[in-house]
Amino acid sequence: MFLTIQNPQGVASQLDLRRKRLTKMTLIWGGIILFIAWCVSGTIIQDTDWSRIGGRNGVLAGISRYFWLDLNLLPELIIPTLETFMMACVGTVLGCFFSLPVAWLGAANVTPSKTILYPLGRFLMVLSRSVHEIVWALIFVSAVGLGALPGILAIAMRSVGFISKITAEAIENIDAKPVEAIRAVGGNQFQVMYYGILPQIYPVVLATVIFEWDINIRRSAVMGLVGAGGLGLLFFRQMNSFNYGGVSMVILAILLLIVLGEVISHYLRKAVI
Amino acid sequence: MVDQHTPPKWSRYKYPESLYKHGTLLIVLLFLGYSLHFLNVDIPLLLGALGGLVGVVGDRYYPPDVAYVLDRGYLAAILDTLQMSFLGGFAGVCLAIPLAWFSAWNVSPNRRVFFPIGRLGVISCRAIHETIWTILFVSVLGFGMLAGVSALTMFCVGFAGKLFADEIEAIEMGPVEAMRSAGANPFQVFLYAVVPQVRVAFTGIAIYTWDVAFRAATVVGFFGGGGMGWYLKRNVQQLENLRVAAIILSIIAMVLVAEFLSGWLRATVNRAK
Amino acid sequence: MTVLSVTGLKVRYSAKGPEILKGIDFEVKSDDFLAIIGPSGAGKSTLIRAVNRLVEPTAGEIILLDHNVCDLNAKQLRELRRNVGMIFQEFNLINRMSVMDNVLSGRLGYTGNMRSLFRMFPKEDVDQALYYLDRVGLSDHINKRADELSGGQRQRVGIARALMQRPKLLLLDEPTSALDPKISREVMGLIRDIARELKVPALCNIHDVQLAKEFCNRIIGMQDGYKKFDGATETLKDSDLEEIYAMEVL
Repeated sequence: MFLTIQNPQGVASQLDLRRKRLTKMTLIWGGIILFIAWCVSGTIIQDTDWSRIGGRNGVLAGISRYFWLDLNLLPELIIPTLETFMMACVGTVLGCFFSLPVAWLGAANVTPSKTILYPLGRFLMVLSRSVHEIVWALIFVSAVGLGALPGILAIAMRSVGFISKITAEAIENIDAKPVEAIRAVGGNQFQVMYYGILPQIYPVVLATVIFEWDINIRRSAVMGLVGAGGLGLLFFRQMNSFNYGGVSMVILAILLLIVLGEVISHYLRKAVI
Repeated sequence: MVDQHTPPKWSRYKYPESLYKHGTLLIVLLFLGYSLHFLNVDIPLLLGALGGLVGVVGDRYYPPDVAYVLDRGYLAAILDTLQMSFLGGFAGVCLAIPLAWFSAWNVSPNRRVFFPIGRLGVISCRAIHETIWTILFVSVLGFGMLAGVSALTMFCVGFAGKLFADEIEAIEMGPVEAMRSAGANPFQVFLYAVVPQVRVAFTGIAIYTWDVAFRAATVVGFFGGGGMGWYLKRNVQQLENLRVAAIILSIIAMVLVAEFLSGWLRATVNRAK
Repeated sequence: MTVLSVTGLKVRYSAKGPEILKGIDFEVKSDDFLAIIGPSGAGKSTLIRAVNRLVEPTAGEIILLDHNVCDLNAKQLRELRRNVGMIFQEFNLINRMSVMDNVLSGRLGYTGNMRSLFRMFPKEDVDQALYYLDRVGLSDHINKRADELSGGQRQRVGIARALMQRPKLLLLDEPTSALDPKISREVMGLIRDIARELKVPALCNIHDVQLAKEFCNRIIGMQDGYKKFDGATETLKDSDLEEIYAMEVL
């Protein structure tokens, strides 16, 4: 049986189109690969002291140092683990308090001033997210000294951006009808917010806060690396005394804490929604 | 006017739901209070910290030493950081795609073997903070950008892997069934039924991953991974506060540029779909 | 006795936008159940909302309960609004709150911020809420969340909330157009009976001419921002209806 092409011109033009698309994709991917190659040569090939690594055996030896656990560290782990957990909790709560005014300023429909305060709110959101938690911690360590406080503040500041952004979006997306109803019964500004807006946004905000809390446990575990207490400090000490088994123990503790956080946040979020 | 023959009863506080609710709230508040005590947080200092921050910034960090960040050495470090973030992002995304495929419950090639491997891989990359990855890689591979890139890769696998897997789990199953009924093996199902559905979303996520990787790349140097963070570390240790201020400003500026760029790219990708 | 008198009311939403109301005059007497009918886009909703200044009038005078609504400051306006019960087309309930809290929220105008914060409403308010919930037939649903109810039940919550204000005037904004015909009739009947019991006048904006004729003693016909008809229900003739709805036929 022969299949004859009924519309040869159409097929030819389609084939042409296909060729053009192929050329375009080849160009894009070729560009990406060249770019990556340039990055590889710049960062990895030229920058690395290959002789110091000592080939495959050196790397394997380096990794194998970590494959034992220093169980003697166990009693020392408990308090820093608790500290890390508490820092994350307090930092998240503090971050919520900071987020409220920022979200209020940065939500287009409730902001007190569209020209000045709205951009300010948006700027604060971006600022909070664009500065890495380690940098925030450095700033706060130099401002209030060593200890848990700078860690809490750094976590709070880093959380503000995400929480307030989601909150502001939730406020912008609320249903105006209940708000109208509260205004119609003669409610004042506070009552309009508390009865009209808050019930609509709180599930979203709560879910976001729980999500952020989960991430904050991770962040809180590294605050100690720059002097803000918790598991990070212990990690740093073990690393500096070349006690690799201890390092593995600390990492194990961090993992346990994070798994615990995941489980709690999973159930909490279910309960909220 | 009230109907007298059946005196109606209503109370906001119903036993036991109300007890559970308020009890939980009380426990959470007590825990937060105890945490503040346990962490030795100086409450007046906490309240004054933000005011103090302004003072500290004014005293120590003003005016930033802008000339320092315009120096050639530092500009080269910015370029290094960019290259590291590209490489880490690219490698991370490449590794994350198969892991996400394994760890998506609906199309996983094998739910007994590959699913746990994928999940575990993504979760462990995610659970450990990028700074800890950096320190670990530095201890194995030595100081330099190779360690930084490796750490960023792990970070990106965790970050992108979860988003990719979520995206895959949300696809429409119709095409998957069609491919399966046509006798396709899991890899073919992935290529023909999954990839076309998630291509655009993946591109967006990949760009976003780069954006986040850049933020992380600004600090990996602080722990020996090369790039801008290394300058930050050196100047923090030498108490060159004006230079530190300039570096932090340059980080913020670069992150903003990266965020703007990634937002624009994602919008372009979304329009081109 | 006149409860509400409106003269020369004009509304436009923005300085350059079209004029929605182009000079409306009417009065509501203390025993009126007044319907406003007209095609969609005639300005019925805007008119109702201008009465308690949910929409700002651009020109004209509104005398409500011996106050000139347009001259009031924010606090005085709130004090006036709490005398005016409003029932909405889409019920405008707070979905995540219980039926009881929704009804109690009608008392917000009389409640201080501290009490509102902890939702501690005075006992007599709670008793009154229970009475009205019973009156609108929702005794079995007091502790449910508002979004668990059916449309008709939700509107009953809306009615109870408006009654909680002990209103001196009821504003009804298309109270039945989100409901099916049978429920609409029940809800309108309920509102009329309660309005008679409490001797509250009502200003009701309504799309369905049949319902208006059935339940209201006076009718105002509107078209494109103008008043086209104003008189007792019996005097409304088919020719008047044709004129009011002329635009819609086109």
